[in-house]
Amino acid sequence: MRKPDGKIVLLGDMNVGKTSLLQRYMERRFADTVSTVGGAFYLKQWRSYNISIWDTAGREQFHGLGSMYCRGAAAVILTYDVNHPQSLVELEDRFLGLTDTANTDCLFAIVGNKLDLSEEGASESLEKEGHSSGSVGDGCVSPKVPKQVKPEEAMALYKKILKYKMLDEKDVPAAEQMCFETSAKTGHNVDLLFESLFDMVVPMILRQRAQGPPQTVDISCYKPPSRTKSGCCA
Amino acid sequence: MMSTKAFILVSAVERELLTGDRERISIECVECCGKNLYVGTTDGSIYHFLLEEKALPAGTATFTATKQLHRHLGFKKPVNELRAASALHRLLVLCDSSITLVNMLNLEPVPSGARIKGAVALALNENPVSRDPFCVEVCIISVKRRTIQVFLVYEDRVQIIREVSTPEQPLAVAVDGHFLCLALTTQYIILNYNTGIAQDLFPYCSEEKRPIVKRIGKQEFLLAGPGGLGMFATVAGISQRAPVHWSENVTGAAVCFPYVIALDDEFITVHSMLDQQLKQTLPFKEGHILQDFEGRVIVATSKAVYILVPLPLEKQIQDLLASHRVEEALVLAKGARRNIPKEKFQVMYRRVLQQAGFIQFAQLQFLEAKELFRSGQLDVRELISLYPFLLPTSSSFTRSHPPLHEYADLNQLTQGDQEKMAKCKRFLMSYLNEVRSTEVANGYKEDIDTALLKLYAEADHDSLLDLLVTENSCLLTDSAAWLEKHKKYFALGLLYHYNNQDAAAVQLWVNIVNGDIHDSTRSDLYEYVIDFLTYSSDQELVWKYADWALQKSEEVGVQVFTKRHLEEEQNSFNPDDILTCLKKYPDALVKYLEHLVMDRKLQREEYHTHLAVLYLDKVLQQRPSADSMGTEVTEAQAKLRHLLQKSDVYRVRFLMEKVQGASLPMERAILHGKLEEHEKALRILVHELRDIPAAEDYCLWRSEGRDPAYRQQLFHTLLTLYLSPSSSAPELAVAAVDLLNHHAAEFDAAQVLPLLPGSWSVQLLCPFLTGAMRDSVHTRRTAQVALGLAKSENLIYKYDKMRLKGSSFRLSDKNLCQTCQNPFCEPVFVRYPNGGLVHTHCAASRHMDPSSPRPGART
Repeated sequence: MRKPDGKIVLLGDMNVGKTSLLQRYMERRFADTVSTVGGAFYLKQWRSYNISIWDTAGREQFHGLGSMYCRGAAAVILTYDVNHPQSLVELEDRFLGLTDTANTDCLFAIVGNKLDLSEEGASESLEKEGHSSGSVGDGCVSPKVPKQVKPEEAMALYKKILKYKMLDEKDVPAAEQMCFETSAKTGHNVDLLFESLFDMVVPMILRQRAQGPPQTVDISCYKPPSRTKSGCCA
Repeated sequence: MMSTKAFILVSAVERELLTGDRERISIECVECCGKNLYVGTTDGSIYHFLLEEKALPAGTATFTATKQLHRHLGFKKPVNELRAASALHRLLVLCDSSITLVNMLNLEPVPSGARIKGAVALALNENPVSRDPFCVEVCIISVKRRTIQVFLVYEDRVQIIREVSTPEQPLAVAVDGHFLCLALTTQYIILNYNTGIAQDLFPYCSEEKRPIVKRIGKQEFLLAGPGGLGMFATVAGISQRAPVHWSENVTGAAVCFPYVIALDDEFITVHSMLDQQLKQTLPFKEGHILQDFEGRVIVATSKAVYILVPLPLEKQIQDLLASHRVEEALVLAKGARRNIPKEKFQVMYRRVLQQAGFIQFAQLQFLEAKELFRSGQLDVRELISLYPFLLPTSSSFTRSHPPLHEYADLNQLTQGDQEKMAKCKRFLMSYLNEVRSTEVANGYKEDIDTALLKLYAEADHDSLLDLLVTENSCLLTDSAAWLEKHKKYFALGLLYHYNNQDAAAVQLWVNIVNGDIHDSTRSDLYEYVIDFLTYSSDQELVWKYADWALQKSEEVGVQVFTKRHLEEEQNSFNPDDILTCLKKYPDALVKYLEHLVMDRKLQREEYHTHLAVLYLDKVLQQRPSADSMGTEVTEAQAKLRHLLQKSDVYRVRFLMEKVQGASLPMERAILHGKLEEHEKALRILVHELRDIPAAEDYCLWRSEGRDPAYRQQLFHTLLTLYLSPSSSAPELAVAAVDLLNHHAAEFDAAQVLPLLPGSWSVQLLCPFLTGAMRDSVHTRRTAQVALGLAKSENLIYKYDKMRLKGSSFRLSDKNLCQTCQNPFCEPVFVRYPNGGLVHTHCAASRHMDPSSPRPGART
């Protein structure tokens, strides 16, 4: 089994479309998905690196597994449904805590999915309108509703996360770079989301490797032994 | 999901052998170590069986167990757990909260009575920290609350090495190295008992279900998670495999790579660790125990013991392939890497890749098929042999056995669908073209190239010609027959040529050009053949088709002689032979002579004369009547004149005879010029042709490279002609004036002046006279300067002479010759300018003999 060089974890409430996003990216298709059980993962070869992408289960039942999945993650994709404000709230309330086990320099992306179902998104979409399988089980099945979550709200959450992680805004990518609105159904922004993240994760892998067990001796840092402790010939 | 057959369930210990019909007694635990099977029961008994395995031809096996011993421990308590430590010949028995050591064979307790007290559960460390082979590491959940203890167990003693307390009461434990994987009351954790560092894994609810903690390999555990998940976790607290999805009420789990086996009330389920899919479900009621022991998976009800016998991996893979489940087969095959010796694995895996490739191929999934063929290092001929008639008849290839696929040939595979057939052929074309230059082709180049040629020919593909004109290994007989069948005669010619059969090639092409056979590959085939012959070093072949080539077109055909490489031509072809051959083809003859004379610059008189005569004939032919003298010069005439002027080796008089009376004054003039008969020549130009510029050009032409006097002579002759009293034509007088004025430098004014008519004004000849005067003055002044310089030089010499003569010296017998150091006996001597005196003969010999010292150099 190839050992992954870096890990990306998709988190978010159930039915926001995590599995569909990943399926759209990896298999270039959109199909009915069933509620994810436990978790699944894909290996993606990006340049010469293997990046594992974990799809987690959004159901409350599997919530406890999140911390373990996030352990050692290089990036976390927090996913919500642009048509369900509650799904954005849940990110902060339930999912942010799971990321405590991720790497200290972990990146956060906030992704509003199902853009095709909102009015603005639908006008962009060329696909014929249809019932998205992703929204099974909740009350709002009618497509074409005004977008309920504004991008600004996602960006505000991003800044809250930085505060929560006690990160300086100057040290991390800007909110505009890390907040996406996607549609797994039409494919809108999906490649952009994953590939920008991969590009950001690669330098982290390199940094991690550099910090790993040193393979060469750095002679420039060598300090001659202090002479204050005198030897016999002093 | 179609199911795989990965295991079959066989009975190991029947009910009769154990509890018989004593209803109250049931199996509590099982241990298997090699052929030894131990069963612990609720009534405190241990049974020891010997398992005999009998292999079946299908790759599976049956088992028979024979009871060796039955011992009752003496308590009315159940035997909770049994663990064999084969290196110590000990069986660890957990009964009544205490672990006793008993002999593996006679089940007697060790004499020392060593035991571990207060244990609820135990786990052996299969990745022990200690290097001592004669001890095992045992980890127990203590009866003390929230306590884990680690022991070293020797043959007849035990030693506690660590006690750690846990945040909650532990319910199950597994151990790997220093890492304990624990199921606590509300969560699973990893605890390093050496450092005490704990890592939370995930929460679960122990009230709802019994936890499962199972070590599945180095540093990796399998845990029963929420919602019936089988979760994988490493000692680092991360998950490297996606979970498998069990039912909610799983009670036991075991691993038999690459499968995870789980037991619930009704079924045994088999999931693959490679793709997490459910592969097999075996109905199994009242299952109670599921455990794996060094690869052997044992399940038990409360009354009987069964073994899950894995089907050989290869059989499983073949079953998957047979149902066209390529992905799964490949995953399984790749996963088998760690279970099979490397060489055997590679052979097996390659074969699976190839088979998978053919399955994809049959579904016209060519991209996938190609990749599989490539990575499986398929013998390309396996693929070629699917296509009827493509392999050469001489090929020694036979398909591998057992076959890699089920198809006899492409017809069967496509069921006669022409479109599919064409797609398959296009695929093979591109595939062969790709592999033919790689190492895949090593050893079968003939087969590949011949097959490729056949495909190209059949499909009328442009690359056929590329294949044949570059390095290839097409087999001649097979390919020739095929090309002929598909009427690819031009290509056939190329094939012959590649196989050094140029004669056959040219014959074929000539037949096409002649229309005897039809092949429209090249519309310029005639030119192609000419080119081919031109570059052919086979003289015989060139001669054979020379007539054919010339008959088609003299001008193009003659190129087989004129465009050859010079060195090769000089070595092999005799010009006289060629000339003989070309007699029948006048145009070609001219071209060839031109080639000899102009290009190769041969200076043989015959060629030059012959060419001149041929030109002349043509000129005469073109102008049959003398009176139709046009002003424009025909091409032939221009060539003739050019030759007559430039060449020096033709027979001038012979040509003169031919030109005489043919009213070709210009040519005659040139010939006169060649004979140095300038006056005759100029007379023709001036009087007959009245071509003043030509006359002047003539003077320049003939005086080229001669001394100025000769040139003056020529110009003077011309001037004389202009001024001769016989022709008083006024334009000649003008010409004379112009000649003098424009070529003033070519005349000696002194000779010219007497010739000029007295009536001419000075104004008229002003440029000439000015020039002449300037020239004359210049000459005079130059002469004066030269004279002055010569005089001064003379004076210098005179001064030197005077200076040398001015002083005197005495010669006595005391003076010695500087050269021979002898005295002077005669009053004759030589004196050097520096004053040195030598004998005359010494001076003479010094000039002869350079080795003697130079007197002058001494000073």
